[in-house]
Amino acid sequence: MDDVLKCFKEYPGEARIIAGGTDLVLDMESGKVQCSCLVDITGIDELQKIEMTDQNVIIGAAVTHSEVNRSELIKATAAVLSQACGTVGSLQIRNIATVVGNVVNGQPAADAAVALMALGAEAEIACLSGTRNVPLEEFYAGLGKTNVDCSNEIVTSVKFPALKENQGSSFVRFAQREALALPMLNVAVSLSLNGDKTIEWVRIAMAPVGPKPMRARSAEQMLTGSEISGELFEKAAEEALKEACPRDSALRGTAEYRKDVLPVLVRRALEAAVASIKCF
Amino acid sequence: MILEFRLNGEEVEILVSPDEILLDVLRDRFNFTGTKKGCGKGECGACTVIINGNAVNSCMLPAMKAMGKDVQTIEGIGTPENLHPLQQTFIEEGAIQCGFCTPGMIMSSKALLDNNQSPTREEIKEAISGNICRCTGYVKIEQAVLSAANRMKAQKSVGEGE
Amino acid sequence: MNKEYSVVGKNIVKLDSIEKATGAATFTCDFKLPNMLYGKVLRSPHPHARIVSIDTSKAEALPGVKAVATYKNTSRVLFNTSATATFTIPPLVPVVDQYIFDSVVRYVGDEVAAVAAVSKRIAEEALKLIEVEYEVLEPVYDPLEAMKEGAPILHSHTESKNVPGEKIHIEMGDLDRGFAEADRVYEHTFKLPVQKQAQLETQGAVAKIGVDGSITVWSTTQTPHPTKRIIGSIFNVPYSKVRVLNPPYIGGGFGVRIGLSAKAEPIAVALALLSKQPVKVVYDRKEDFIASDTRHGGYVTVKTGVKNDGTFTARKLEGILNGGAYCSWSTEAPGVLGAMGLSLYYCPNQMYDGHSVYTNTTPAGAMRGFGNPQAMFAIDSQMDIIAEDLNIDPLEIRRKNIMRVGQPWVLPYPCLSSGLEECMDKGAATIGWDRRGKLNAGNSKKRRGIGMGIGTHVSNAWPFCGDYSNAYVTIQQDGSVHLASGIPDMGTGNTTALKQMVAETLGVEFDNVRITYGDTESTPFEIGSHASRTCYASGTAVVAAANDARDKVLAFAAKTLGTAKEDLDILDAAICSSSNPEMKMALSDAALKAHEQGQQFIGVGSIIPQNAPPYLAQFAEVEVDLETGKVKVVKLVGANDVGKAINPLVVEGQLEGGLAMGIGYTLTEEIKYDSKGRQLNTSFEKYVLPTAMDITELQTIIVEANDPTGPFGAKGVGETGLVATAPAIANAVYDAIGIRFFEIPLTEERVYRAIKKEGIE
Repeated sequence: MDDVLKCFKEYPGEARIIAGGTDLVLDMESGKVQCSCLVDITGIDELQKIEMTDQNVIIGAAVTHSEVNRSELIKATAAVLSQACGTVGSLQIRNIATVVGNVVNGQPAADAAVALMALGAEAEIACLSGTRNVPLEEFYAGLGKTNVDCSNEIVTSVKFPALKENQGSSFVRFAQREALALPMLNVAVSLSLNGDKTIEWVRIAMAPVGPKPMRARSAEQMLTGSEISGELFEKAAEEALKEACPRDSALRGTAEYRKDVLPVLVRRALEAAVASIKCF
Repeated sequence: MILEFRLNGEEVEILVSPDEILLDVLRDRFNFTGTKKGCGKGECGACTVIINGNAVNSCMLPAMKAMGKDVQTIEGIGTPENLHPLQQTFIEEGAIQCGFCTPGMIMSSKALLDNNQSPTREEIKEAISGNICRCTGYVKIEQAVLSAANRMKAQKSVGEGE
Repeated sequence: MNKEYSVVGKNIVKLDSIEKATGAATFTCDFKLPNMLYGKVLRSPHPHARIVSIDTSKAEALPGVKAVATYKNTSRVLFNTSATATFTIPPLVPVVDQYIFDSVVRYVGDEVAAVAAVSKRIAEEALKLIEVEYEVLEPVYDPLEAMKEGAPILHSHTESKNVPGEKIHIEMGDLDRGFAEADRVYEHTFKLPVQKQAQLETQGAVAKIGVDGSITVWSTTQTPHPTKRIIGSIFNVPYSKVRVLNPPYIGGGFGVRIGLSAKAEPIAVALALLSKQPVKVVYDRKEDFIASDTRHGGYVTVKTGVKNDGTFTARKLEGILNGGAYCSWSTEAPGVLGAMGLSLYYCPNQMYDGHSVYTNTTPAGAMRGFGNPQAMFAIDSQMDIIAEDLNIDPLEIRRKNIMRVGQPWVLPYPCLSSGLEECMDKGAATIGWDRRGKLNAGNSKKRRGIGMGIGTHVSNAWPFCGDYSNAYVTIQQDGSVHLASGIPDMGTGNTTALKQMVAETLGVEFDNVRITYGDTESTPFEIGSHASRTCYASGTAVVAAANDARDKVLAFAAKTLGTAKEDLDILDAAICSSSNPEMKMALSDAALKAHEQGQQFIGVGSIIPQNAPPYLAQFAEVEVDLETGKVKVVKLVGANDVGKAINPLVVEGQLEGGLAMGIGYTLTEEIKYDSKGRQLNTSFEKYVLPTAMDITELQTIIVEANDPTGPFGAKGVGETGLVATAPAIANAVYDAIGIRFFEIPLTEERVYRAIKKEGIE
């Protein structure tokens, strides 16, 4: 890791981290990104880990979507992320593209990022002067941009509390085809149920409904403390819609259509998250 | 930069520039033209090779990423005299039409069968969902992968029985 | 009825498969020559503009650049990129409206200049150094708009505004009387999208100039001989000095390269002439989307008069197609639309009027089905509307009106075979047609439906344009057989099928027949692969050549054995006598003996094909998600009358691929443009064609009605797989949710809007 940070110093403004490179290589070929030094982090042991410490799951920056999707630990503690990592691009892409890279790339609908936001994840960012932890909600600086200075900083891992037995999650992806497709809408939910089937807490992340993945906070408030029911979920889904501002996409649906479909997906995600809780 | 890796079972060494792409190195420098460029953006799978057991799009990989790794291309899995079971079944079951997607398709299928000896139809579909075929409608390709899986299991049990 | 053959009708493994499975197959993009340069093309950013000035000096000065081509230093011969212009039959005149480079650009992506350099990278850098000043002209994108008063004109010398070539008119009977006799009249207009072949190998070519000025082009073309003629004409080189060949494989076609659409070939030749080195031009995927021909989108109007019992009395069909910026196949596609649309059903009074219109978009040309899928979405959607209105089962109303053998129709050849009814019945049984209308109980948010569509097509391009084939068959001195046919191999199995036909005709083993193909230097004139013709038309030529050789063998054997020719036959590579079983002569012996006497058995086949209608019936079961509008095809059944399946495994593969392409056409595929005339769907991610996970169940059924004019009874196959998919799926959607669509693709948003409007819950 020290070597990585040294590269920033040796090639000021010219060094870029490459993990999987599935976004970076294309950006370099199109001229969107120019740099003279690529720092390949995929060989660094400490970045390859998926592990749980103190009830938190930590995923290193070199971990691929496939590794997360296949991980038994993730299936058990963060089903939403396992699902999200199984739908990106194609198997070939998932075998190389990293989860952290997906987040750093800053696209609002990035599947892993949406799932991580529903898990209450934060990113650890390292630079020469130290490390800082940033919750995902504060990670974005605008459409496609993050608060990471890519020529001086590296995101080393993402971390989130593991879901417990009374907690469930789900990921709903809506796209024009089943593979090799960017999503029209992604919704990720994680929630915790009390013994009396009221909702202890819930996180709903949705995208692309704004410049960054968004939490449906008002809907979350409505759900917290309430007893689960189909009617409740429908109301919450409509509430979530109020906070969403999808744009017209020339390729992936008008704003109006995405607004019409979003509540359906939110409702389905809530239902699936509850259904995933085994102990009820 | 010096790139050292194992290509189709053979240790190789080649000088590459850091921004050279693996697909171009395989096709133009090693003359392994079996792996194809269908889009150059990881959206069609025609460039699929297997690296350390994983199917990947070689059109998106800097060649240096192969350093120290095991790279397999279509040329390395079988010969006309000694075809890999997947090559056999693809040929026999009409899974090859124009043939442009075939190398990538076979490599994705091989990566699947090397890790999963009894895939379901759904698992096969998922394994090849990153490989676009415009000719076949995927029907005979999936059939061929199933047949190859059975053939490989049979071969294995014959081998074990000895 | 169905004869048993020893080689024909068998699933012989395609030999090209072995090379393709081992990575040894050479495609144009793999092809290399010593000293070869790489060519890149500069394309217009404007949909319509005049080039005021173009300065290539900086590009030429870049080290590594060996040639820069523009309209100023290349041939000024007009041509048409499609092969059609080389076989238009007088009095029709081919429309030639393209130069290699022009001083006017007519769509975003139109070729402006090209550079040949020692590396792709340098060629790309050089493009950036070419300075072009454009005077932007007003563009027009919609065909209906382009016909209006005041619309910009794309090409001068058109008889009607922006209409390339002649308008097509077809008629039969007395239309007015037919409508007067009708109890009910229905008229509907349907809108069709632009679809793209999206074949896996992009357009490309490698060109080399010989010291004698001869031109050799390795190319992705589906039609080497016609393409050779186009090149000879462009560069004013005698055809005998032009060689076009596939290297030998082509990564898919589906009509995108019947000729030299996107001009990789002439651009490579122009650069090779300028640089005096071989030049390779291979387009990237974005260029292939933008610059190579698409399917025609447009509008089809169908007006039908029926009796209350469902019998047709009159039909008027109209097609206005978006031809894009250059003519390509825009004079033929409307013709096929009308001819196929009118010839599927029997109706004594029919008329068709149709044509294409120039617009400032990517040229539309040939794509699998060639106007027929467009016609059938309209015709067979309306068929279900009529069926429902008259309270007649859609299967039965079709049965009542389908064309039958011997009935009159608008085509200049007779209908001599039809397995359509068998296709309909077998397909209906397979899908479970009687489940239709009964699939939804209760208030499920997912609704299922079943629908059908039928269609026909052709077995070659005659009489829409010229069509003929030649072939040589020579018996080698050891009895092995060599076949020369100018067909290409783009994966359709035709090289294998033609060998099967020769082996069957000559009575030899399949493995003892070798085919030379795809090279104009070593084969006689052959149109190539399009119009579903190679088994039927090219096959007729190879069978004729094989029969000619067989005849010469038997004549020689008769003389040698001292018996009548009529007494002899060739079975298992031996000439035998029917009257005297002891009398036998191995073919190899006959060939060697003949050689010793100064003779080789050479068979020549020169034929003009007739034509014959393949038939198809497709049945779809769909599931519609009411909450999102998403349509899923649960099962698609395609039953095809192919006359005779020369190689059933190959036929199934062709049909399955067509069904999948049809699903894409109906549900997800469309090339859209933005307000500045730029294509939006210029990549495999943006152009939504099906992946393996998007195709659930496809089932094909082969019916063999044995056409008397086809070799071994065969008829056309290649294009038939998606002729009726759109109406089958759209009619199934109607069964599911009761909504009729007049426009495809049935994207989730389009379907959702309609569901919401109808208030369906």
